[in-house]
Amino acid sequence: MGKPKFLGKSIWVFHLNTGSCNGCDIEVLDVLTPYHDAERFGVKLVVSPRHADAALLTGPITLESLPKVLRAIEAMPRPRIIIALGSCACGGNIWHSSYSVIGGVPELLKILKERGIEVDGVYYVPGCPVRPESIVYAVGLIKGLVPKKIKPKVKKVGR
Amino acid sequence: MDIISKYIDTIKAVEPKADIHVSDDTVYATVSSSKLRDLAKAIYWDMNCFFRTCAGSDERSINGFYALYHIFGDDNNGLNIVLKVYADPNNPTLPSIVDIVPAADWCEMEARDLLGIEFSGRKQYRLILPPYWPKDLYPLRKEVSYDVKPQVIISSEKVGFWDKTSAGVAIPIGPYHPALHEPEYFELYVEGESVVDVRYRGFHIHRGIEKLGESKLTYQQVNFVAERICGICGFEHSVCYAQAIEKAAGIEIPERAKFIRSIVLEVERIHSHLLWIGVAVHLLGYDTGFMHTWRIREHVMIIAEMLTGSRKTYGINLIGGVRKDINEEKKQRVLDVLKIVEKEFTELVKTMVDVPQIMKRLKGTGILPREDARKLSVVGPTARGSGLDRDVRRDLPYAAYGYVDFNVPVYDDGDNLSRFLVRVDEVYESISIIRQLLDQLPQGPVMIEEFDIPEGRMAVSVVEAPRGEDIHFVITGRGKPYRWKVRAPTYQNIPALRVMLRDQPLADAPLTIASIDPCFSCTDRVFIVDKNGYKKRLDPILYRWR
Amino acid sequence: MSLKDMRRSRLGFLRALVIAGRSGRVTRRYPYEEPLVTSDFRGKIDIDETKCIGCGACVNACPPNALELINTRDGYISLRYFVGRCIFCWRCIDVCPTGAIKGTREFELATDDISDLYDIIVHEPNRCRECGKLFSTKRMGDYVVTKSPLVENYVDLDPDCRRNRFLKAIENRFGGRVG
Repeated sequence: MGKPKFLGKSIWVFHLNTGSCNGCDIEVLDVLTPYHDAERFGVKLVVSPRHADAALLTGPITLESLPKVLRAIEAMPRPRIIIALGSCACGGNIWHSSYSVIGGVPELLKILKERGIEVDGVYYVPGCPVRPESIVYAVGLIKGLVPKKIKPKVKKVGR
Repeated sequence: MDIISKYIDTIKAVEPKADIHVSDDTVYATVSSSKLRDLAKAIYWDMNCFFRTCAGSDERSINGFYALYHIFGDDNNGLNIVLKVYADPNNPTLPSIVDIVPAADWCEMEARDLLGIEFSGRKQYRLILPPYWPKDLYPLRKEVSYDVKPQVIISSEKVGFWDKTSAGVAIPIGPYHPALHEPEYFELYVEGESVVDVRYRGFHIHRGIEKLGESKLTYQQVNFVAERICGICGFEHSVCYAQAIEKAAGIEIPERAKFIRSIVLEVERIHSHLLWIGVAVHLLGYDTGFMHTWRIREHVMIIAEMLTGSRKTYGINLIGGVRKDINEEKKQRVLDVLKIVEKEFTELVKTMVDVPQIMKRLKGTGILPREDARKLSVVGPTARGSGLDRDVRRDLPYAAYGYVDFNVPVYDDGDNLSRFLVRVDEVYESISIIRQLLDQLPQGPVMIEEFDIPEGRMAVSVVEAPRGEDIHFVITGRGKPYRWKVRAPTYQNIPALRVMLRDQPLADAPLTIASIDPCFSCTDRVFIVDKNGYKKRLDPILYRWR
Repeated sequence: MSLKDMRRSRLGFLRALVIAGRSGRVTRRYPYEEPLVTSDFRGKIDIDETKCIGCGACVNACPPNALELINTRDGYISLRYFVGRCIFCWRCIDVCPTGAIKGTREFELATDDISDLYDIIVHEPNRCRECGKLFSTKRMGDYVVTKSPLVENYVDLDPDCRRNRFLKAIENRFGGRVG
């Protein structure tokens, strides 16, 4: 999926911590402080999911917080995107197979599809914890200011 | 030796057949469950010890029983006392000590939730696992695999507690709220402006770390998991675990590694306290202070990245030493940055203290009297702000703290301002400690490669985190720990909230809760105060455990 | 320093203006300016496909299982690196026997397609000269022979055939059947 057309100027973000250790959440707070200043791109943290364009998810999704996450995402008006921040949200980190954890956003998307909740875009930002510059780069990528740099590498080797 | 013989005599006086052995600074005693309550009373009240934690363990593959370890601590003499009792494998039941030692409440319920040990003589309830978890599936038993995923139905779930018997107007806060960094659910009951009742449901962050450490991971991999228990104070969890395994196996690490660990621990303490000061003044409405404090904190993050390779969750700790060394250039850079931080921080604190709204809202709110702090045995800056002189770095020295000289700031008023000033002073002490350590840094290797970890050894390790004392208890196994128990510092501080929040105006509640610096790898327990002033125990649905 | 040592004044809070004026604008206008990354930063790893032998030492050391040995076709073993789950601890670099993994300082890893986050190296497997089954990798066999030339005869046999041949050798040496 390419850049969603509606996210032209500014992105209002609802921060959802689904069981993270707080490392990524403190870096989200850090990105609003003077050295990195994400607000120059129009990013704002909002208080209610009804005002938000994007859900900023951190943490592997634990069983206890799953119903609340589903209700929060359902409350966001269309069009909506999900930003998976950090190694926990992208793939579950060290807990990807634990008994009390769903496993990150790839698994959450399957649950959302089962329930018929549609999402218009998903972005993945790896890092443990995520650098503030990585978050700024992700915002720049969503707005179309910077090109995507990572490419998959598939190589076949012989002897 | 003297004090250890005294403990041995005390234990033998109650239970003559106890099996006792002493190792380093810990006394291990295996006793029968019928004498457990008398022994707990003797040690906790007569010998005046503090309660650290209790850990259940599935030892059916070793000796055919379930075991429960109660760990007490004597800070004045630098000792730990561990009482071990066995429970029948077919019907595990043990007497509860919660009326003698109130702090043992949540540990016992944790053992019940995860292992299935029932406790007689107390009210039992589900604590850690979600309410829709199947009743007879106990994750910490050895036959249950770490990736078992039961079928759960999550659609209909009532989150609130309000019913006709609740007093006052209910204000639900959470689980997702702009003032909270973590998911937790508060329901405040207010009459007018005063808070009369608080109910809480936590536990959204349980990720099954202890089970993973015992099944899927190896010894060296658990260091990285321990670091991610908390993103702000992660390095001290990793040091505590590594020290526990090194103590259990008898490994002696090089001196230079001890110094590097202490330097990075103090860097972490500075960044954590600056973070807290910024968040506290933000909650009071002074965003200028928040932005300037975090601007100064950025310098500390840069030197942390230069020393260790990452801004936080450093990942340099391994059993046997550290992975990265400090050269002369880095040493000089650290000293330069510390000079800048000290100068700018002094100026900022002087400005903040002159802001009228900060002083008025900090002084005289959220008071924790000294006797209550002693009874609840709180830890960290919460204790030092109420007149209790407790600091693990000085009482049970570990790593390189035996080589440095520092003061422990103690304030007597017990209000939010005292806790604020304790943390301000600790920043200066940390800067002085880092300077002394860099000055005395010895030469040598930073890691030992060849060591052996035998099976079946136990150890308790205690470290002073920015929030208080942190305890890890390990039993070694083959290639990975057999049992690993973590008790984080905020666990011990939350009961103090009931005293601090009593009859407070609603507007002061967020700052009071934030003043104990909750890291939420803790249990949370608040008492109900109904409008006649009587206090009753809250049905705890509050356990947050990582 | 205690409260008594700090001199207090009524208008002292205006000092905040002086502090703000002196520090000025500290914002680094990344991505149009240099970010605040030091030379010690641990970023994404880069696996050199000319040196990797497919031994799996990094797979054993990786705490979140970001590096995995998977089967891509019948019998072909591949090393797959999932950046999304990596914790950037660089333990794989510590344990790799041939030095095939290098650390970089890349942190600009955001993407909208999760398949961009997988790096795969497909190894050519060994074929057993007796039963024809595919196992391990050719490079691993060559590496083992350089370390210990005695095993050259056994390197192109799969583990089951190797076991059988060894048992037969004992049988021949000591006479009579074994087992």
